[in-house]
Order: sequence, then C-alpha cells, then structure tokens
Amino acid sequence: MRQLLVLLAVFSAIAVLPAVITSEFSLNIVIMMLYAALLGQAWNILGGYGGQFSFGHAAYFGTGAYAVAVLQVQLGINPWIGMVAGALLAMAVAAFIGFATFRTGLRGSYFALVTLAFAEVLRILSNSVDFTGAGVGILIPLAPGPGNLQFETKTGFFFLIWSFTLAAFLAVWWIGHSRFGASLAAVRDNEEAARALGVNAFRVKMGAIILSGLFGGLAGVFYAQYFLYLDPYIAYGPAISVESLLVPIIGGMGTLFGPLLGAVALHTVSELTRELIGDVPGISLAIYGALLVGMVLFLPRGLAGIAARFTRRNKPAGTETRHA
Amino acid sequence: MTGQSMKKGVDRRQFLATGAAVLGASVTGFPAVLRAQEQTVKIGLIHPVTGFIAFSGTQCREGALMAIADINAAGGIKSLGGAKLEAVLADSQGKPEIGAAEVTKMVEGGIHGIVAGYASSISLATSQEAAKTNTPHVVDVGVSDQIVNRGLANTFRFSPGYGKIAEFAVSNLDTINKAAGSPAKTAMIIHEESLFGTGTAELLSKALPEKGIEVIDVIKHANPTRDFTNIVLQIKSKKPDLIIPANYYNEYVLLARTMRQQKVEAKGIYSVLGGAASSPKFVAEFPEAAEQIMDCNHWYDPTSDLALQRKAAAEAKGLTYTYEVFLAYNAVAFLADAIERAGSTDKEAVIAAMGSSTFDKHGMPYGPTKMVNGQNEGAQPVNTQVQKGSIEVIYPDKFASAKPIFPMAL
Repeated sequence: MRQLLVLLAVFSAIAVLPAVITSEFSLNIVIMMLYAALLGQAWNILGGYGGQFSFGHAAYFGTGAYAVAVLQVQLGINPWIGMVAGALLAMAVAAFIGFATFRTGLRGSYFALVTLAFAEVLRILSNSVDFTGAGVGILIPLAPGPGNLQFETKTGFFFLIWSFTLAAFLAVWWIGHSRFGASLAAVRDNEEAARALGVNAFRVKMGAIILSGLFGGLAGVFYAQYFLYLDPYIAYGPAISVESLLVPIIGGMGTLFGPLLGAVALHTVSELTRELIGDVPGISLAIYGALLVGMVLFLPRGLAGIAARFTRRNKPAGTETRHA
Repeated sequence: MTGQSMKKGVDRRQFLATGAAVLGASVTGFPAVLRAQEQTVKIGLIHPVTGFIAFSGTQCREGALMAIADINAAGGIKSLGGAKLEAVLADSQGKPEIGAAEVTKMVEGGIHGIVAGYASSISLATSQEAAKTNTPHVVDVGVSDQIVNRGLANTFRFSPGYGKIAEFAVSNLDTINKAAGSPAKTAMIIHEESLFGTGTAELLSKALPEKGIEVIDVIKHANPTRDFTNIVLQIKSKKPDLIIPANYYNEYVLLARTMRQQKVEAKGIYSVLGGAASSPKFVAEFPEAAEQIMDCNHWYDPTSDLALQRKAAAEAKGLTYTYEVFLAYNAVAFLADAIERAGSTDKEAVIAAMGSSTFDKHGMPYGPTKMVNGQNEGAQPVNTQVQKGSIEVIYPDKFASAKPIFPMAL
C-alpha cells in the first residue's frame, strides 16, 4: 500500500507540472518523458516482470498508431473510438504473437528474435498496402479540439499521456501485488519450477503480453495524435522497440518506478547533450551513447537499483524482501 | 554488488543530484537563454545533420548559412535598419518528433521564421508544429505535395513538389524519347521505401503507360540497403529499356555502381529526383557509373550569372554544390526577402509578404515567384545528363547547356 501511495503522490506531483511550467518546449520534454515511461512500462510488464525479452514492441505501438490514424483518415471514425480500437487491436496483435511463440515454447533469444521479426513483417506490410498510405505514410489532418483528440495547447496532450501512463503504472502496481504477478515472477525466475507448482505458464505469459500490448498500443495512439503523421518506419521501425527496452533497462527492469526513472534519465541526458553541444553534428549523440554505455555498465540493475540498495542498507538484516 | 561499487554510491548521489538540477534547468531554464537577444532577425534552421540522411541535411545547413552570411554581408534587412539575420541551428536527427520539438523550442526562443527540414516527413512535422503558433515556415527540399495541401497558412515551399516534378519528368521523358524515335518502350522503377521514393514510383507507374512506356516492374528497397546485387540481377533478367531509380544518395550510388559492375544494358537510366544523379560528388567519385545518366531534378539555371556566382562561392568554401545547397540557400533568401518587404518580423506580415512574393533573385529556372496555397507555381525541375564527367542541363531548351544523348552511347 505504501508503494501505491508513493505512486499516486508522484503522479499527483507530475500532474501539477503544467501549472508550474509555462514553457511549451519544457512541457513537451515532460510529455515525451511520460510517453517514454509508458512505452518502457509496456515492455517492463513482459520483459521485466515476465522475463520475456521482446525486441519487437513496435508491433503493438505501430498497430495502435495506425489503427487510430487509418480509422480516422480512411473511414472518418472519431479518434476517441479509434483510440479504443487501437488499444484492442494492439492487444489482439500481442495475443497472436504470444500464442504463436509461447505455445511453441519459444524463450530467451528465440523469443526476442521472433518478436523482432513480427515487427518487421508488420512494417513491410504497412509499407505495402494502400490503406496505411504505404511508404508515403498517413497524415492526420490538423484539427485541434478535444473531440478530435487533438488539443490547442500541450497541456491537453500532457493530461492524455499522463492518464495513459498512470493507468500503466497502476496496472504494474497491481501486478506486483497480485496472484497473477506472483505467478508471472515465478515463471520469470524458473518456468519449470513454476509449472511444477501448478502455475499455468502459458496463460500467465499470455496475460502479460496482452497487457503489454495494450499499453504499447496506447503509446502508439498518443504518438499518432500528437505528431499527426505516421509512416512504416516511424510506426514499426526498430527505434521504437529499442526505446521500449532501453527505458526500463536504464531505469530498472521488473520494478514499478524503473521505467519512469529511465525515461527521465534518458530524456534529460538527451536534452542536455543536444542543448549544450547540439550545434556540432553527432557529438551530442556520441556523448549520449557513451553515457548510456556507462549507465548500463555501472548500474546493472538500473537507477531503481540504487534506491533499492539504499533501502536494503537501512534495513535490519533478515528483513529484506523482493517485490515482483 | 561489490564493496568497490558500493563506494561509488556517493558519486552516484551526486550524479543524481546533478541530474535533478540539470533536469530542472532543462525544463525551465533554456528558453530564457534563447530569449536573451532581440537585435537580430532569428532564422531557425532545422535539418537532419546526423543520421542516415546526414550528408543531405548538412548540405542544406551549409546552403542556408551561406545565404545568411551573404544577406548580412549585403547590409542585412534594410527595412529593419540593417538588422542582421541570426541562424538558430537544430538537428532533427532524421526524426519528425525531434524536428517538431525543435520548432517548439525555437518559437519560445522568439524565432522569426523557420527553414526546414530536407525530408518530407520532417517537413510535415516541423511545418505543422510551426502552424500552431502561425510561425512563418519555408520548406527547403521536402517534395511531398501533402506539405502544402493541408491548408497551413504559415507554410511555403519555394521549390517544386512531387506532382509538378513527376508531371515534368514524364513529359520531358516523352519528348526526349520521341525525339530519338521512341526507342524506350519498357521501364523498371527502383525506389527507396519512404515517402519520397514511394510517392515518385506511384506517380510514374500511372503516368508512364499513358506515354506508351510500359512499367514492367517496380522494386522497392529499404533504407539503408548496402547490397543491390539481387535487384540488379532482376533488372538484367527483365531487360527494361529504361531504368528509373528514385533513391537517396548512398543507395543511388550503390545501385548505379552495381549496374555498371553487372554490365546492365539499357537504353537509358532516367532518374526522378535521383539522389546522386545530379550530384557533382557522385560524378567526380564514380565517373564511369554516372556517365550519361539522365535526371529530372532540382537544378540551378546554368545561364544565370547569379547562380554561377553562388556556385563558385560555395565551391570556394569547399562545398559540393548539390541541390540541397542552393534550395536551402534560396529558401532562406525567399524568407529574408519577405521580411524585407514586410518591414517587420510580425508573423502575419511576413506570411502575407511570402504569399504575395515575386522574389526573383534566385538563379533558378523558375521565373518570378508566384505563391498559390503556399506553393511556388513557378518552380520547376530540369533535366540533366552527365556528359563526359560534367552535369549538363538538357531540357528545357531555354536553360539547356547540352543536347541529350539518348539512347545511351557508352
């Protein structure tokens, strides 16, 4: 319960930011941090809590993004409905990928490669069919207004991504404190042992991937409505999959706050390097890359690991607990 | 964790504290820095100077900076008391979302106009973001017709778009083909997979059959592609009369080299917006691969003294005078001309001045500027051909510096 209170306090504090930050650019940074945290948390459910390392989360992101864009542009369906459809379709894609991989017992690097392949297949498909705009991409008309899931100012988008991200974090908090979460952690730590104890590993992993797909899809919906343009590389390209896994790896896999810490750290480093030495092409990216390598090398359990270490240091011996 | 790594906890705390401090600075502080200066006219230049299209983005930036330097050297914006142009640089990294974020930052920094963003996808994002604050925005190279078809009042394009280029390319190809006795009856299109290549391929696939040229295959490839052997083998097996590439620079060079290595025989290689076909760099580095390739592309007017002076100045600076350089140059010059005529940096006034522009000091084969819905209707591409290691304009006749060699005679 204490963790839930901390979570609600953190998100309440974040919710105040639009009232404090007057700069649209600065608010955009916060929005992009929340968006990255959402993507990272989506990956964290399956990769961090479930131990199933996906390299293809772009499959869910792109499906959510294309669903809301295509329904809007090609069929004139309201994006609020498109948002629900996008989330459901992303879950369906996740269920399909999960069924195809978990039923056949794929794990580890085999699972990772197959998820990568699914995302690539979807990228090629979206590049080949007309209703997605193929390589030309799809452009959502600029029509600011809450009814169109577009907003005049960034504050509206802030609360959209804030609510998506809060939902994802609440879901992960629930995972960490539920029977489902315990089963998922058991499968992650030793699938055979979990099976021997009566855990239905297939069902648990399916639950995780579908939930992961839901939030990945919502991240895609947000991206589409925020930037109003998609092409196959943006939607299903490897950059999204990499960002999805990088955020929790930096922040701390299998922890509730890891993706938020990772998103804040990554965007801070990125913005700082761009701001301080952005005029020299490539240098900011090189420093950003070097910092990432350093963080992965010296923080193997992510930024959340630092907090966990301090917590343990202050606890009496024998009271250490591990949360899923 | 080892004891050694635990000792580093203090540093990490410092790191986190510093990180929190700099985050605060990034969230609240930097726009204030950008607001500091008011004595200049700030022109935002957003280009992909890193990433897979970094060469083109860098060329754009260099061209735009040349224009700013030239305008400042000529006395700045005279109607504003000789106010100097100040370049505010940004790297989109080839990503639309970063381009859009840079626009937001620039607008808060008091930018007076933006020139962006080389690729169509980036230009779509930057112009749209600029539209939210009605900030004047000139697209330098992006050719997607969607850029100017969305009804964004702030967005202008000085150079031609897809529709015009494809129409021109087909029409000129028909003219060149008929003048040679119509030797070309079939064509293959090899294009990159993004908006530029796909859009071009779609337009040509529809238009070429109307001119009696059957499109026997369209091959799409990813970016980046580093091995064109299989694609070239397909070309060899289908033996098209015309090969039509539409790719970015690196892929174009590799495709052209592989075709020469595999001794592909065709009556012509006719590019549309060929990433390298009109590039002096390509011609200089791979003269055999480039020889007699025709292209329909952006190009300066070789009969214009102004264009030749700018070319010489760019080359004196060590720049390769590619289309990115002179298009970005002219995009900035067009914007500066509008500010000059508006006599103000007021956004509405600058936008109105761009809309009524008759800017003609561009050295391009365009004639006076005439903006319709943000698109310069006078803008048009030309046909070029590499002849004996030199890029010559072969069509329209008014601007031609050489006659076309078609079919190829190597």
